[in-house]
Formats: sequence, C-alpha cells, structure tokens
Amino acid sequence: MAAAAGPRLGAEELGLLEKSLGLAKGNKYGAQGERKTPVLQTNNGPSLIGLTTIATHLVKQAKKEQLLGNTAEEKAVVQQWLEYRVTQVDGQSNKEDTRIILKDLNSYLEDKVYLAGNNFTLADILMYYGLHHIMVDLTVQEKEKYLNVSRWFNHIQHYPDFKAAVSKTTSFASIDVYFLM
Amino acid sequence: MGFGDLKTAAGLYVLNDFLADRSYIEGFGPSQADVAVFEAVSAPPPADLCHALRWYNHIQSYEKQKASLPGVKKALGKYGPADVEDTTAGATADTKDDDDIDLFGSDDEEESEEAKRLREERLAQYESKKSKKPAVVAKSSILLDVKPWDDETDMAKLEECVRSIQTDGLVWGSSKLVPVGYGIKKLQIQCVVEDDKVGTDMLEERITAFEDYVQSMDVAAFNKI
Repeated sequence: MAAAAGPRLGAEELGLLEKSLGLAKGNKYGAQGERKTPVLQTNNGPSLIGLTTIATHLVKQAKKEQLLGNTAEEKAVVQQWLEYRVTQVDGQSNKEDTRIILKDLNSYLEDKVYLAGNNFTLADILMYYGLHHIMVDLTVQEKEKYLNVSRWFNHIQHYPDFKAAVSKTTSFASIDVYFLM
Repeated sequence: MGFGDLKTAAGLYVLNDFLADRSYIEGFGPSQADVAVFEAVSAPPPADLCHALRWYNHIQSYEKQKASLPGVKKALGKYGPADVEDTTAGATADTKDDDDIDLFGSDDEEESEEAKRLREERLAQYESKKSKKPAVVAKSSILLDVKPWDDETDMAKLEECVRSIQTDGLVWGSSKLVPVGYGIKKLQIQCVVEDDKVGTDMLEERITAFEDYVQSMDVAAFNKI
C-alpha cells in the first residue's frame, strides 16, 4: 500500500496542495530511494525530502501559517497527525492495519470537526489524501460503521478552497459518502 | 422542518441525529444557521449526545466571529430534518395569524391541496430515487436451541419437523445434538434469515407449534451478517 501512495501520488498530492495554497506552479518533485520519498529541489537551498517536510515548507512559502495551527498545542497536534499520516496510514499493509486506523480515527473524530483544534489545517489536507484510497474501497456499511470518519471526510472534500483543487483530479476526486438517505 | 423544542431532551435528540453525518447545520462551513440553532440550545448537550455536543463545542469556538459568519438567519423552524414537524413558537403563531385573517375557507383548502400535490410529487421522486439504489438486505445468523420433552423424543423426527418450516428469507444451516443430561439431547440448529422477512418471534411460534416433540425453544446466538 505504501507503494500505491508512492511517487506519482506523492508528487500529485503536493501539486494539488500548491494549487489550493495559491502558489505559482513550478516546483518539480522527484522521488528518492526504495520507498519513493518525494523530494523537492529548492532554488537556492538544500533539497527537501519527505512528504510532510515539503508540505509544511509549501504552507510557509504561501504565508498560510494558520494551516499549521494557531496555538502551540494546535501546532503540536497538526505535527502529530502529519506524523501519523506518514508512519501509520502510509505504512499500513493489510486489512487489519486499515481497520485499526479507521477505528482509531473514528473514535478520535467523534467529538471533533477537524483533526486539530477548531480549524481546517494541513493535517486535514494530508490525511484526506492519505485516506482517499482507503475510503474509495469502503462499502456502504463500513462507511456507516466509521460514521465519524465519513462525516469528516465528506466535510473536508467540500471545504471551499480545497474542493476546487480536488475536483479537477481523478486520483483524489470526491467520493460519495451519503449512506443515510 | 425543525428540531422541535431544543430545550427538551427530545429536541436535542433530533439535533444529535441530524448532526451525526454533518459538521454544520447547513453546508460545509459555519453560518448564521449554526448561530440560530446554537442560540436556541440553552446549555451544552449531555455527553451521550456526542454529535450534538461536538457541534456545540465547535460553534462555541466561533463566539467572537458570530456576527460576521455568512448567511442570513432564518426562523429556527426552517432548519433541520425535513420530516420533523415545526413546533417552534414562531411557526404556531403564524398559523394563528392565518386563522384570524383568513375569512375565506376555500382559499385555505386550495392551498393545502396544492401543498398536498407538491408533497406527493416529492414523495414519488424520493421513492423512485430510493428504488434505484441497490437495496441492502440485512441478514442475521441465528443459532437456535430446541429442547425436546424427554429422552424418548425422536430427535430425528424433531429435526425433520423444524426443517420442514419453509418460508421466504429463511435458510436452514447445519445442526447438531447437544447432550443436556439424563440422556436428553437438545437440537442446536443454525439458520440465516433476512431481517425484514423473518423474526425470531415467528420462528419460535412455528417451532413450538410441533408440541408433540418440542418443549421449548431458545435463541442461543444472534448475529448480524
């Protein structure tokens, strides 16, 4: 599964992020090593390696620091979920791992609208991309079982700036999560 | 539409249900709709209404920007699930006003007929939409314990009787005899039923009808598939 979210999606994901951040497109992403970790060659500095590193850099470049959290605690929670994304979500390799991730997220999101604090953050964006291929494969019953994840997912894919970027792609296109009708 | 009285547990319950798969009252961002409903809820909902509580806490975080949120505030009764009757104070006052002014009964009737037609149209639309969706058949696997009268009961015949019950949505599975003591054995039999078509009450009724063989019947296990 880690390979599925590998070079192509990793780069595509970052490209989409650039777009939704309103950055001028122009960055080229490479891939490095067996795990195809995304690499960004900056103009006059060192190359940046790793999905969350590059994503955080892009957010700062776009001067949208609020996406990294407002308070010190929020910043920490955003980092926590970015780490979760690359270690747990991308690292999952079988059905059982997926089930655990969904179960954990479902109970975490029961009393939350966004992953960190009361605002849309980079954590929501990257978790959306990371979970997309999992959500696509869920049955209606499973979506209902993981109601809180489904609600969060549906909410994020309709989030104004984000929606515009996602709607034009096929890899991360919005998916139907209406099951209560 | 509406949530009913949000000061009562029933109203909050409707709100909780409504918010189970939504983050906001309307759309995908905070708006005056949330403010209107938020103001009608007097205190944080109890913890067991987790969806309502989540929403309440989230909207509370917008306290300072409340006035600048988008949208136009409407009467409370305009929000919420469509199938709940609007019982808010404003709505009942409205109908009273109507009664006072309305001198011509016929107008009222015509209007209600129009409303009825509209409603039926919507219902039909909804039905057709619903019927297009592949229906999910809920099934359950049930393990039944059937107990005979004594050790002389012919268990083979008993099983035959049980298996002779045939109805739509019922499939018999494997069975075995389990000793209960004093040489008496009970019949443990598996079956799969479609929830809408077959209930355990109906099974019990049919099985205990073989009263020559069956003393009693219990549901040993019941699992949704």
